[in-house]
Amino acid sequence: MSSTDLARDRAAKLLKKRGSLSSQGTSNEYNLHAHRKQGSISTISFMEDHTNQEHHHKPAVKMENTYQLGPTKKFPVGQITQIISDVLQSYLMDERYEVELCRNMTKTLSDVVKARVKELQLPRYKIVCLVNIGEVKNQGVKMSSRCLWDPTNDTFATYEFTNGSLFATASVYGIYME
Amino acid sequence: MDDFQTGEETAFVVEEVSTIIKESVEGAIGGNAYQHNKVNQWTSNVVEQCLNQLTKLNKPFKYIVTCVIMQKNGAGLHTASSCFWDNSTDGSCTVRWENKTMYCIVSVFGLAI
Repeated sequence: MSSTDLARDRAAKLLKKRGSLSSQGTSNEYNLHAHRKQGSISTISFMEDHTNQEHHHKPAVKMENTYQLGPTKKFPVGQITQIISDVLQSYLMDERYEVELCRNMTKTLSDVVKARVKELQLPRYKIVCLVNIGEVKNQGVKMSSRCLWDPTNDTFATYEFTNGSLFATASVYGIYME
Repeated sequence: MDDFQTGEETAFVVEEVSTIIKESVEGAIGGNAYQHNKVNQWTSNVVEQCLNQLTKLNKPFKYIVTCVIMQKNGAGLHTASSCFWDNSTDGSCTVRWENKTMYCIVSVFGLAI
């Protein structure tokens, strides 16, 4: 194998390894009725894409030590909150709640927000972006989240938007990868 | 550096996680009907129990657990996520649970350290 081939191969592997994944198209969903209890139903959807199984058979690429212990650039919470509010407002300002529209909108918005955050090029940060859109109809809603992580480097940004017909929340979690 | 952990031990196993989520939801909400003053408590209990069980798996992961409880009255709710991470190690699992009066959607994201 020539050196250019090797380099190309390595680049392809890196791309694969650092790929991004969204719920659009790649998620699996199935119903489980085995666990039905007290008239409740649960549905599971998940992402599990072990595309590079053959990766284990190849020798690992040896990298030089960086001796870098922390992030070179911290996760900019304020800037990201601004991004989320920009995106939510520009997409949802004049929308009314419609099932089909909102179904696609959640996917689009989570992709757009993730892409915008990716553009900031935060080295060593993994990004998780979660978007909820719901109808305003006098119902009660409660959202909460809790994380097990390293509070010195890992953080999140969140923003909520509402108009007369729908409410939307978006959270971006930034997880520092050692 | 040598890595002595392989395969199953360090992977995000969806079946395991979905069982944990379902047990936590059943444990925290069970057969209760939607009560406005209890919801705060329920969402905290669900995420708390989920994280407790996840830590007991003893895997090298950072976890994000989110829980949404919504009263059933015909209103719609959509949720979607997008991630930028290492596909080969990281994973996510979302469980939608419902009874007669409410929906509960729990998502767990596991990011390998």
